[in-house]
Parts: sequence; C-alpha cells; structure tokens
Amino acid sequence: MIELRNVSRFYRRGADDVHALENVSLEIPAGRFVALMGPSGSGKSTLLNILAGLDRPSDGQVTVAGRKLNDLSEDEIAGFRAAHMGFVFQFFNLIPVFSARENVELPLLLTHLKKAERRERAETALRIVGLAERAGHMPAQMSGGEQQRVAIARAIVTDPEIVVGDEPTGDLDAKNAEEVLGLLRTLKQEFGKTVVIVTHDPRAERFVDEVFLLDKGVLQGSKPGGGAGGLAHAAVGARA
Amino acid sequence: MKFFPFVWRNLLRNKLRSLLTGAAIALAIALVCILRTMPVGFDNFLNQLATNTRISIHNTAGIVYSMPYAYLARVKAVPGVVSAVSWTWFGGMVDKDKGVTFPNFAVDADTIGDVFADMKISPETLAHFRSHRDGVLVGRMTMKKYGWKPGDQITLVSNVWPLELSFTVSGEIPADQDPRLWLQREYFIQAMREKGVEFDQAGMIWARVDDPNRVPGVMSEVDTMFRNSDAETATETEKSFFQNFFGSLQGFVTIILIVTGLVTLCIVFIAANTASMAVRERLRELAVLKAIGFRWQLLFGTLVGEAALLSTAAGVAGALVSLGLTRLLGAAAGWNPQLGPLSGFVVTNAILVQALFLAFFIGILSGVVPSFGAARRSVASTLRDVF
Repeated sequence: MIELRNVSRFYRRGADDVHALENVSLEIPAGRFVALMGPSGSGKSTLLNILAGLDRPSDGQVTVAGRKLNDLSEDEIAGFRAAHMGFVFQFFNLIPVFSARENVELPLLLTHLKKAERRERAETALRIVGLAERAGHMPAQMSGGEQQRVAIARAIVTDPEIVVGDEPTGDLDAKNAEEVLGLLRTLKQEFGKTVVIVTHDPRAERFVDEVFLLDKGVLQGSKPGGGAGGLAHAAVGARA
Repeated sequence: MKFFPFVWRNLLRNKLRSLLTGAAIALAIALVCILRTMPVGFDNFLNQLATNTRISIHNTAGIVYSMPYAYLARVKAVPGVVSAVSWTWFGGMVDKDKGVTFPNFAVDADTIGDVFADMKISPETLAHFRSHRDGVLVGRMTMKKYGWKPGDQITLVSNVWPLELSFTVSGEIPADQDPRLWLQREYFIQAMREKGVEFDQAGMIWARVDDPNRVPGVMSEVDTMFRNSDAETATETEKSFFQNFFGSLQGFVTIILIVTGLVTLCIVFIAANTASMAVRERLRELAVLKAIGFRWQLLFGTLVGEAALLSTAAGVAGALVSLGLTRLLGAAAGWNPQLGPLSGFVVTNAILVQALFLAFFIGILSGVVPSFGAARRSVASTLRDVF
C-alpha cells in the first residue's frame, strides 16, 4: 500500500518558489496498476519520485509498504528502494558494456546472493519478460522494446512489491509500447505487484486499473482504467 | 570483489579514452621512475669513480690554484698515508682547433701506481712508464677514441704551458670510462726548465690512506699541517672531490626532482579531467543505479576504484617500461664505454614501489572530486536535469 497525506513539494528556482505539488493525498492499495497522467509540468514525475523515495516532500507524509519514508535517512531510503522497489525509466538506461543478463543482475549485487543464484534469478526475470534467449546479448544488439523489457526484468529481479515507471513507453513505437504496458499488466495480474507509472501515453488507460489526473501540481481526481477491477481511493488535495 | 567486474567493464567502455589516459599516466610514471634514478645513479657514478681511502689535497682557494711541491713529502710523512702523488694540469691538446679533449696531468711516476692501485694498471705498463721519461698512461676511453696502442708516438700541445711535447704510449689505464692521460712530472719539469722556468708547484696531491676509518683523521692532520701557510689546503675524500667537481650536476638533479613533481601534478589534472568526463557521461546511469538502491558510498567507491585501477595499471606499465629502458641503457653501456655512466642509473625496487604508490595516488586524487560530486548528487535532481 502506498499512502500520501497532504504532500507538497516546492523548489527554489532563483528568487521564485515553484510549487511542483500542492497538498496531494492519495492511496494506492497493494496489487494495483495505476497511471499518473497530466500535461507536462503537472507534477506527475515529482509525485512518482516522492512515492518511490527518490525525492522528499517539502511537507506531508509518505508511507510505503508500512514504512514512513519521511523518517528514513538517505542510506535507509536507498536500502528500502533496493528491497521494495523496482524502477523502469523512459530511456532504459542499461549499462552498455554489460549483457542483458548482467544488467538484470545489477540490483542483486546489493544482496548476499551467490553468483550462481544471482545468475539464476536474472535468467528467471528475463524469462518472465520473454527474453531468456537473448540473455547474452549486449544492449546495442537489442531493439528499444527489448531494452525496455530488460529494464523491466531488472526492476523485478529482486521481487519488489512495487514497480514504478517514469514514461516507460515514452521512447517506444506503438507496438513495443503496447507490449511493455501488457508486460506491466502481467506483473500486476500474475505476480501481484503494485505498478505505478507516469505516462503521457493514452494507450496506458486501457491497461491500468486507475488513472490519477494531475494539473499544476494539484491532484484533480481519478478515473478507472480499462484494466480496472476496483477503485483506488483518491482524495483531491483541496478536499483533504 | 563482486564489484570488480562492474568496475573493470566500466573502465573498458571507452577503450580509446582509457588507453590514451593510461598511456599518458604510464609515460609520466616511466619518466618519474627514470628521473628518480638520477640521484642514486649520480651517487653510483661517484662511487664508481671514487674509492673510500683516497683523499685529494688542494689549495683552499680552489683547484685552479697550485701549492708548493714540497707539500708532497710532508703529506707522505703523515701517519696512515700509504703513498701520495702530485698532479699538475698539463692541458695537452691533440688538435689545437678542438682544444683539450681529455684531461691530462703531469704525475709522479714512482708513486702513481701505489696511489691508484685500484686502477689495476699492469706491472709491465707501470714499469715502462717509470723507465721512459716520455711515457704516458692513457685511459682506455681515450686510447679507443684515438686508436692509440702501446708504443705509439703522440704529440700534445699544452694550452697552459709553452710546451709541445712528444710522448710514447706506455699502456692503458684499464677502465672503460677513463679518459685521463698521465705524463711524467719529471719530463714536464725538464721541458719547463729548458724554457727557463723552474716549476716547483703542484696542482694538487692525491694520497692513499691505509684504512678508511683513518681517513677523517688524516684529512684533518693534513689541513692542520698547512694552516697559516701561504697555501692553505682543503682536503676532501675522493667522492666529495668529484661531487664538488660535478657540483652543477647536483643542481641539475634538484631541477629533475622539481620537474618530476610538476609532471605528476600535470598528470593528476589530465586524469581528473578524464575521470570528470567519464562521470559526466554516465550521470543518467548513476542516477538509475542510485534509484535501484546503490548507496552513494558504493558508487563513489566504484568510480574512484575505476580511476585508481586505470592509474595503477598504467603505473605498472610505466614502471616496466622504465625498468626495461634502464636495463637496455645498462646493456648499451656494456657495449659502448662512452655510455658507461648510464649503467649506474638503475630502477630499484624502492623506486618501483614508489612509482606504483604514486600511480595509485594519482588515480585516487583524480577520481575523488568528480566521483564525489556525481555520487552525492540527488537522484531526483539528476533525473530532472538529465531526462
């Protein structure tokens, strides 16, 4: 479960305060696939960074998987992310000198697993995303869609409860975008992951359970997606 | 150790840049190693030239000032002195246009062999030298240079005295690097007398002491003996004499050490620039690694590790190059006597260890600043700035 209470985020830019988020409250129950949508500059990436423990709110409370992130030190948050979160980014960001399997293995370097176990888990993750046969390929030898699937395998290799994606389809063509969205949906359906993505891609609405809409840093509300099985609990900031 | 492949593969992601940076560091380390051999090499060179029982006695005003020849007998009488010989600069030239091309001195024929017994001049050669007033002993280097053989007749024109003398080569001073020529003082005195000059001076005196432990006492006694005379003496060990004689080389060595420091500093800047570029190009990846749980300390460690690994590997290469080069020079010195002094310049184990530490230090120093900045940078701000 992800819970945000009255979260605000201000940036100082020169003499001005930029209000990236204002008084946002929302709850995302475990095992849901949700999208944060809105125009550019609406604060959706900021919101994702805060709920993923990549950024700290200026005000408000963030609770993820039962831990209050506000109370954690930088090192504790890093450990928390390693244990509970998987990340997928727009530009894949695979390390070019590592093979697909080695890229997927990276988060496991932070665990106490032995090399053989790390390798086995990485291959399992690659099998889940349908790339078992390309484990030895280098990123440069793979298409954008394949690279993003490797990135998803990297995100799930530690078996985190939550997978977050910042524009995971932003750099993909339509076919690959649908495949990636379908894969994220599978993570939710078959593995019970909570998946939160930021996207501009309207196709995402068909795959997610719920869409949260933001504009100018304010949560405007939510609507069910095409994959909805129930409703998330959104609270418009002003109402909270 | 599980992060070593991570560090190693990242190091090789831009092979050309790593190679060029490594080559620059390797070259600098090789240079530093070779430069570091200079002080020791210079000392070895002096040790090759000097013994620990021979002392030089010269006018306290400097070696260009003479002293009475009568001093020789008084030096010989000092307890502990085995033998002594006077030296007077002759300044002989084979070719007037070329000037003096090798050092040549008028010496006492009867004692030169005793004082310079370590030269291992053959008894036959010494006997010939003593029994032929026009005899000369010539260093092997000069013998080879002019193609002289024992029995050859040579003529030297002095640039100091009004003399042009013919000599018979008695034999060689058997040291590959020795350029000296010794002629008989008696022959020189008689020639001067024929020119109407009674020469009763000596340029300097070399004495051999029976025990190295007695050298300081003998030196002190000799100088005390001539104190308050018209020609006070300054006595010093042979090594000290050559050190003073090659005093300008000592300054050169100091300059070399300063240059070594500057070279090191330049390389730190070059390596830091490379590390900075490498880190800047990977900000996005670093942000992602931090996002997936890599702590900043770990990222900092791997980034600095990359710089240190590159620098140390380059340091090993540079040290091996310098080792090979000095060994090559040493071998060349064996083939060519004129390169003889180079055999004293040896990259020792101590220099190798210092060089490797220096290389490691360069790596650490060059990696710390850019790596620290990148590793400490917040994930959110990097993602915001870069994506």
